[in-house]
Amino acid sequence: MNWRKLRTFILTVLILCLIPATRYYQIDAPLLHWLHGSSRVNPLSLHLAGEFVENNLGTQQDADGSVTVRMIAQQYLFVPHCIMVPAGVPIHFRVTSADAVHSLAFLGTNYLVQALPGTVTEAQLNFPHPGDYTFPCREFCGAGHYAMRSELKVLPREQFPALAPDERRNCAAK
Amino acid sequence: MRQNSSSALLNRGLFRRLRIPATATLFIVMVMGAVLLQARTDAPDRIPSYIEWTPETIAAASAGDAFRGSLLAKRCEHCHGSEGFSPFGATPNLAGMNNLALWKQLEDFHEHKRLSRVMEPIADSLSPRDITDLVAYYAAMPIFSDPQDNRIFPQTKPESGHAAVAARLITFGDGERGIPPCQACHGPVAYRVGVPSLATQNSDYLLNQLEAFASHARANDINEPMRTIAALLSVDERQALAEYYGSGMGLEPGGATVPK
Repeated sequence: MNWRKLRTFILTVLILCLIPATRYYQIDAPLLHWLHGSSRVNPLSLHLAGEFVENNLGTQQDADGSVTVRMIAQQYLFVPHCIMVPAGVPIHFRVTSADAVHSLAFLGTNYLVQALPGTVTEAQLNFPHPGDYTFPCREFCGAGHYAMRSELKVLPREQFPALAPDERRNCAAK
Repeated sequence: MRQNSSSALLNRGLFRRLRIPATATLFIVMVMGAVLLQARTDAPDRIPSYIEWTPETIAAASAGDAFRGSLLAKRCEHCHGSEGFSPFGATPNLAGMNNLALWKQLEDFHEHKRLSRVMEPIADSLSPRDITDLVAYYAAMPIFSDPQDNRIFPQTKPESGHAAVAARLITFGDGERGIPPCQACHGPVAYRVGVPSLATQNSDYLLNQLEAFASHARANDINEPMRTIAALLSVDERQALAEYYGSGMGLEPGGATVPK
């Protein structure tokens, strides 16, 4: 094998490696599981088992004072429809889609979270000021896309109710 | 020597012989204890429906024999009508309904995920093949039937104020409150898998279902879309939507039109 052929081969391999590198979060590799857990879910069976079952959606209080919010985006609404978080507290936002690609654009902020079927998107958010933040879907997802919007209510930290470890919260009475 | 005296104390031979079985037993007891504790502390998952819309499920649910279904449907005729249009307002019309929507409801009745004193025992007595065949029969029925056999559908038209509210919700939804338009999933614009067409549904039945979704008395919608939307609608809007579909206005060509 002369140098030219070898060079072409190496370049081809490198270019092929670029494709998975841009989609690293969709790669289902055991090494990545070991590094930071699997982000794969089956969009068809979110309601049967795993972290996106009905009674696990909403705001969860973590031991270190931060909160975790779990949410499903689907045609054409977000579930839970209205979520409630304390102000100035790190929010681990975990969202997935049950069907098409959706995205959550939090109006008045620069947060934009994409919800992809088959993948859990984790975003670290922080809302320092209390208030109501509307988030419409910003990725065209079908016939009802333009009416798809939800609300995030940010409460002052002292007004946010203390949650039991297995309690989940949204705006409707728990 | 100290080793000798301690071995005599512990009866070393017996200890050595039992060391591996004893460790294994201890390990098994600990694992079982952990599993039991886990089972006791974890709240059970609330599962709305056991159905998962995989391609295999859809293929199996669509492979019914409509002729065999027509023979089984003799049992259903008393309530759901011989042409799939019910003579009772609170009982659903089944003619021409999407086969997956019908299949899902029968399966949920069978699994007791949707509650009904009438339908649960009936669905219990049906085999999976019976369910698929019945579904194929009702899905194949025409949605326009002989008015002589179809006495209560369509019902009288709603007053114009109610019709306008319903038409707006069906066509556009309400973006301010995040209510998607009904026709984006229930037709005629688009359908999602397992979602029923509402164009020929009875108004009393629709109203009952919307109230049941809003109060979570019915909770078999996967990922809670209908529970969420029904709770966002006002009492008046639920009434208006039920009247609109019940009067057959959902069948008008081009879908719902918005009066000025």
